[in-house]
Amino acid sequence: MGSVTGVFTSENRLHPAARQVLMDAIDKGWANPSKIHHSSRELAHLLEQSRAIFASHLNVPSASLHFLGEPALGFHLGVNGLLHSGDLYLPATSRQELLAIAQGSKKATVLPVDLAGSWSIPQGSRDDLLVWSTANIETGAHASPPSQFEGRIFVDATADYSLAIPSRWSTALWDSKSWCGPQGLAVLALSETALWKNPLPHIDQRVVPGDFNPALVIASAVALQAFEAERIAAVSAIAEINSYIRDFVTAEIGDVDIASPASGSAHLLSFSFLYLHAEQLVEKMDARGFSLDSGSACISANLEPSHVLAAMGRLTHGNVRLHLYPDHSIESVRAMLHALKEVVAELRTGQ
Amino acid sequence: MISINSLGTLCPQPIIDISRAVAAHPAEVEFELLSDDPATWPDLQAWGRMTEKKVSQLDATKFLIQTAR
Repeated sequence: MGSVTGVFTSENRLHPAARQVLMDAIDKGWANPSKIHHSSRELAHLLEQSRAIFASHLNVPSASLHFLGEPALGFHLGVNGLLHSGDLYLPATSRQELLAIAQGSKKATVLPVDLAGSWSIPQGSRDDLLVWSTANIETGAHASPPSQFEGRIFVDATADYSLAIPSRWSTALWDSKSWCGPQGLAVLALSETALWKNPLPHIDQRVVPGDFNPALVIASAVALQAFEAERIAAVSAIAEINSYIRDFVTAEIGDVDIASPASGSAHLLSFSFLYLHAEQLVEKMDARGFSLDSGSACISANLEPSHVLAAMGRLTHGNVRLHLYPDHSIESVRAMLHALKEVVAELRTGQ
Repeated sequence: MISINSLGTLCPQPIIDISRAVAAHPAEVEFELLSDDPATWPDLQAWGRMTEKKVSQLDATKFLIQTAR
């Protein structure tokens, strides 16, 4: 804790408590938990214990939980498994995996968002499906609760530090990365198994393909316990850092458009500097030892600006996206902001 | 009306171009910007909001910028 770190990107940060468990598990190797040998039974028991930890911290029934080795597949299973005759509703700032599903559906409505990323929850009908995220993956914006929606609800819980989901939900998806657990594991919860139909080709009654690494499940459960024990203190420290950064970029740098609403999830902070080329900004910051993400077109693979910023009407060029972690200290953030101020001044002068 | 041609340039160049043109011609109230960068329309709207200009899209690559008075 308190270490100076220059990494502000969304890459995985493995909790130290999980690291040791993961190393031991990889050294030991694992048997197939569905077989009858001694080592298989031992693993099956450990997986059950982990499942109970997930159920208790995510506050969902243990039997509703399924592990996925490919997190992105969870969006397809969670949404398409519930989408039958009804309509699909989702905000324009949804993750690309979700917008891709909407693009392939004839009855999808992409809902507009305002400057703060807020959108109106539709009423819908019983067979309809709403995609609702606990926090926007880029800006941290929270949505109003989906309580008035009359249909089914897919909860994308992959971005928020708070892992709680609304009281009424049909399917929900978490990513192990969001509690500093190992990468390559998602947890999918199915509440309405009667209504859920497996959208993948299948012969037996299995809900998910089952190709997950048991070592990741056990290490992720340890990370989840450790993360939850520290979460309240970490979130309040991160909120202070978030507000320090907002004040600094507004007062000390200027001509900045802060896309993240102040009321959002504090570990995600997105802002854009007018007249700046984000690629140059990211490269110059990297050269000074600070890695930042950006949603600007010049950084993205397809040269399209961030669909989240564009949908909100926010500035898409000169964008910086920060991911704040529990081990970021105010000193490391001050050092990053000092470098940012110099780099922005240098680039603006050079135009 | 002053016309600015930013065709073929990528973000943030079109916004830098229009901003410079506005600064260079304080008496002019209408500007036309030509740009084929997909980021121009969202960015022009954000720039208009931040610097208090009225902006509109005339066609896929043509935008109108109106300054107050």
